[in-house]
Amino acid sequence: MIIYAFFVSVVLAPIRRNEPKSQIKYGLSLFLIMVIGGLAFGWLMFLFAR
Amino acid sequence: MKPYAYLLAGWLFPGLGHLLQKKFWRGAIFLLAILAMMGMGLAMGGKIYPLYLEKPQTVLEIVTNLFKKENPLTLLAFFADLGNLLIYALSRFLSFGLGALERATFEFGTAYVAGAGLLNYLIALDAFDVARGKKK
Repeated sequence: MIIYAFFVSVVLAPIRRNEPKSQIKYGLSLFLIMVIGGLAFGWLMFLFAR
Repeated sequence: MKPYAYLLAGWLFPGLGHLLQKKFWRGAIFLLAILAMMGMGLAMGGKIYPLYLEKPQTVLEIVTNLFKKENPLTLLAFFADLGNLLIYALSRFLSFGLGALERATFEFGTAYVAGAGLLNYLIALDAFDVARGKKK
């Protein structure tokens, strides 16, 4: 999941932003949102697991 | 005409649309990322979904059969995998990406392959925008 999030961030950051600094910042925040969101959603699903 | 040519080039092969416009860093990053994702997906036993067609005769038959015979999810996977056109075509001729269902990583691999295809659609559209001057 983390590797997938990494690749998605690497691709989307240059697409969405033009300046290198803002690309890095955007990519990093996107990566963190995906990883933390994925973990959070996983725990949420655990509540409904048998 | 030229922006559409770059769009097609980008769809055909990851990053090609950017490389042809001398955006070498962007093109190289996109090329490496998509190829790495695709490679990892195939190494994990992921499947590149084909479009199964019984011998259709007309375009109308193709369209009606599409929604009758195909599982909607595999149809979506087919359109996602089509995002890397050259790799998809090669997979049909060279018979790779057949999927190793028995492996525990099959689903992950398939997700990686589909994700690579979907991201390449965005990359091709980005090459189109760069060619039109909407982006640097």
